[in-house]
Amino acid sequence: MARRSASEPGMIMRIANFRLAIGMIIAAGMQPLLAQDYPAKTIRIIVPYTPGGTADLLARTMGQKMAASVGQQIIIDNRPGAGGSIGADLAAKSAPDGYTILMGTVATHAINPNLYPNMPYDANKDFAPIVLIATLPNLLVVNPSTPAKNVKELIALAKAKPGELAFASAGNGTSQHLSGELFKKMAGVDMIHIPYKGSAPALTDLIGGQVQLMFDNISSSLPQVRAGKLRALAVTGPRRSPVLPALPTVAEAGLPGFSITSWFALFAPAGTPAKILIRLNKEAAKAIASKDLQQQWMDQGLEPAGGTSDQLAEFRRIEAARWEKIVRESGARVE
Amino acid sequence: MELLANLQLGFGVALTLQNLLYCFTGVLLGTLIGVLPGIGPVATIAMLLPATYALPPVSALIMLAGIYYGAQYGGSTTAILVNIPGESSSVVTCLDGYAMARQGRAGAALAVAALGSFFAGTVSTLILAMFAPPLAEIAFQFGPAEYFSLMVLGLIAAIVLARGSLIKAIAMIVLGLLLGLVGADTNTGQFRFTFGLPQLADGIGFVVVAMGLFGFSEIIINLERRAKREVVMAQIKSLMPTREDFAASWKAVLRGTGIGALLGILPGGGAVLGSFAAYTLEKRIAKDPSRFGKGAIEGVAAPESANNAGAQTSFIPLLTLGIPSNAVMALMVGAMTIHGIIPGPQVMTERPELFWGMIASMWIGNLLLVILNLPLIGIWVKLLSVPYRLLYPAILLFCCIGVYSLNNSAVDVGLALLFGLLGYLFIKLDCEPAPLLLGFVLGPMMEDNLRRAMRISRGNPEVFFTRPLSLALLLIALALLIVVVLPVVRKKREEAFQE
Amino acid sequence: MKVRIRSPRDFCAGVIFLLFGLCAVLMGRGYPVGTARNMGAGYFPVVLGALLVLLGTVISIKSLMIAGEKLENIGLRPMLLVLLAIGVFAGSVDSLGIVAATTLMTVIGAAASPESRWREVVVLTLVLLGLSVGAFTYGLGLPFKLLPF
Repeated sequence: MARRSASEPGMIMRIANFRLAIGMIIAAGMQPLLAQDYPAKTIRIIVPYTPGGTADLLARTMGQKMAASVGQQIIIDNRPGAGGSIGADLAAKSAPDGYTILMGTVATHAINPNLYPNMPYDANKDFAPIVLIATLPNLLVVNPSTPAKNVKELIALAKAKPGELAFASAGNGTSQHLSGELFKKMAGVDMIHIPYKGSAPALTDLIGGQVQLMFDNISSSLPQVRAGKLRALAVTGPRRSPVLPALPTVAEAGLPGFSITSWFALFAPAGTPAKILIRLNKEAAKAIASKDLQQQWMDQGLEPAGGTSDQLAEFRRIEAARWEKIVRESGARVE
Repeated sequence: MELLANLQLGFGVALTLQNLLYCFTGVLLGTLIGVLPGIGPVATIAMLLPATYALPPVSALIMLAGIYYGAQYGGSTTAILVNIPGESSSVVTCLDGYAMARQGRAGAALAVAALGSFFAGTVSTLILAMFAPPLAEIAFQFGPAEYFSLMVLGLIAAIVLARGSLIKAIAMIVLGLLLGLVGADTNTGQFRFTFGLPQLADGIGFVVVAMGLFGFSEIIINLERRAKREVVMAQIKSLMPTREDFAASWKAVLRGTGIGALLGILPGGGAVLGSFAAYTLEKRIAKDPSRFGKGAIEGVAAPESANNAGAQTSFIPLLTLGIPSNAVMALMVGAMTIHGIIPGPQVMTERPELFWGMIASMWIGNLLLVILNLPLIGIWVKLLSVPYRLLYPAILLFCCIGVYSLNNSAVDVGLALLFGLLGYLFIKLDCEPAPLLLGFVLGPMMEDNLRRAMRISRGNPEVFFTRPLSLALLLIALALLIVVVLPVVRKKREEAFQE
Repeated sequence: MKVRIRSPRDFCAGVIFLLFGLCAVLMGRGYPVGTARNMGAGYFPVVLGALLVLLGTVISIKSLMIAGEKLENIGLRPMLLVLLAIGVFAGSVDSLGIVAATTLMTVIGAAASPESRWREVVVLTLVLLGLSVGAFTYGLGLPFKLLPF
């Protein structure tokens, strides 16, 4: 390159061009922050549970559909632990730029905040709701050798043998545990709670006859009911489930007012720009409405949802209040 | 016979070019994953799940299954070559496998591991085909009381693992038991020993402890010994096992297969327990137990056969009942669900081509693996001749990434660091890490099931003795304890007598 | 009376076990212990901790009477540098990204061996970087941050 003097007009132009170029490069680097060009890079969905569970599968199947639609990769980041709190906390503290979102559940946003005295995040303030993905009830299942064919008979049996019936759960503080505690309180019966590490060992012992009943996630117990290994007495939700239309709800069958629903929703860290939230809501709702996902989820007993972010915000508020009541009344405690 | 018709159906499905290709991809990937310390089949299968959406369900499941049992083959490679267990069930292989490698017999160890695994895979696939439904029923016979008694038996067997001082080994077991208690107590939800760290709420991961205790400490010790010019590795002798090796190991392979196949069915610690139990059995019935820990080939053949047999039979609860028996099976449930197959007891009858196709491809996968792994032995052994100063930073990196990838958590890496320090101190003080690891695995299950059994029986301890299976296991444990303690007592009496 | 430690290794091991056991008992008592029939969360920690204290004591006492090997010196350089390398990786992988973490770890780790030669370390670092970025981050899809931003 020939040497030039800095005082030449050509050089000044060159410096100005250079600065302009730098400015444009900086502006281009800031593109990801501007909502118009969102998404400009990979989106990360944090799933606060281990791979293979319902939350994880929902995230992966939805994520794949959304990725095809937005033209960017969507990766799943599993951060299990502490009943979902570790992943939720990580998401809450991530940058609110729309590139990190959370697969939240009834546990992370309604149960845990009411159950644990020290939460690392605030379920209300630290998150911006995107969309409700799906809801599912628990299924009240009993071992076939238990002589109760419906909820009323079960309550009668439990009253006749106080402390003798045992109900299994996937762990302390899970919706299955709390369903059982609420049932005990509302029906006025005494049953003993046997916690396990996850649904699978609990179901195994239920089928094996070590325990008598369980309020399990419908997705894991449905196949066993269909195969006759377990008998379903009722669903715990406010409505009957489309996959078992003949089965009454617990409220219909003897305990009016009993209603427990599990749910999954997408959240973004609080402060994420509204334009990005709207875009995410649109894309997610599109994925949720797709025929093959709907079929896949419904086969497992999940009810796809969708809707607006405001609807999710309202839903979460109601759920948080409801679980506050359930936890308080059932007297369940964890350290 | 119906079985033949079913197998014909299965092989018809498994031998299509497409499925063969996916099987091969799965086992190849599984082998590589198994070789990498820390990164296990769980992480890999989870990452590949989306990639399988476009595939037909049978092909997807064949590939994912291949990753799982392929990892068992690979896990023994690192255990033998560098004393780092790639999989939890390869821990025991480290004991004699690495000792053999130090004597220059790594090739023989790897070959016996591969061949034993193939035999075990063949036999247990056959068992799967013939006895899957009745075997699944066995899982239901095992309630909390039976699991507790099994764990007690396992812990007593752990004492047999000890090479040196018995009392120090017992102390290591107890320490392992305590470390296993870290985390939230299943029965009451109480957080124990967590120091306020949410990352410890679910306990310390097995891989974290194994990497630290075996991997990191081994690197430090090796560097230290090299600085002192102590010989670490002997010259490589031949690559293949000798006739004596074969003669010594074939019975071990048979026994290992039997134990592994049986224990693999049990949800929970089935595969790990199988390899430990097989090793202990060999050591107990050997004519010269002092060979174990110093390069006894049965000490490689038995656990490797056991863990591969267990890997096949652990599919039984999944395929017959739809209930996953470990984390990998839980992922398979997910994979099936994504492909529109609801896992459950009806899969066998409604989708026989899936059930039998998978069984057939499991055998094919084992065949591919042994064809794949035997030539690889030459390459692995060549790796040993890479100068250590270049090798160990790579091992360090793989271990760090492997531990991180478990939960995408740097805290786990930090914990592994602590265990590395601990492991190093223990090596200096002549304390063996293997019993600690076994206590770590069995302890929480033992306590969990003890308390659950007591809860279900409303505080009545007789339940352990009135249930026949539990009583049988406890009696075997007692017999084993006597057999272990008696020679030690006799020896002490002789020593006292001589003084 | 001067007590001679005949087996320093066993003595140290015994002390370590004793300390671990003590911690377990003290922490275990902070949780509800319960009874043998109705065990609480603290039951096993206390019982096992007490057992470990007992074992540690026996081992230490035995070490006073039965001869054993002397303590080896602790090789400070390998131990400290390897542990530092791991620690640096753990500390930097989330904040500075995998590229920085791998580089730092490899360099510090290589320093732990007196046999390392610096030109080799550079090549080794590049190879390992290729693996962590190419194989692990892109190939396997592990969610690593590449660079500090």
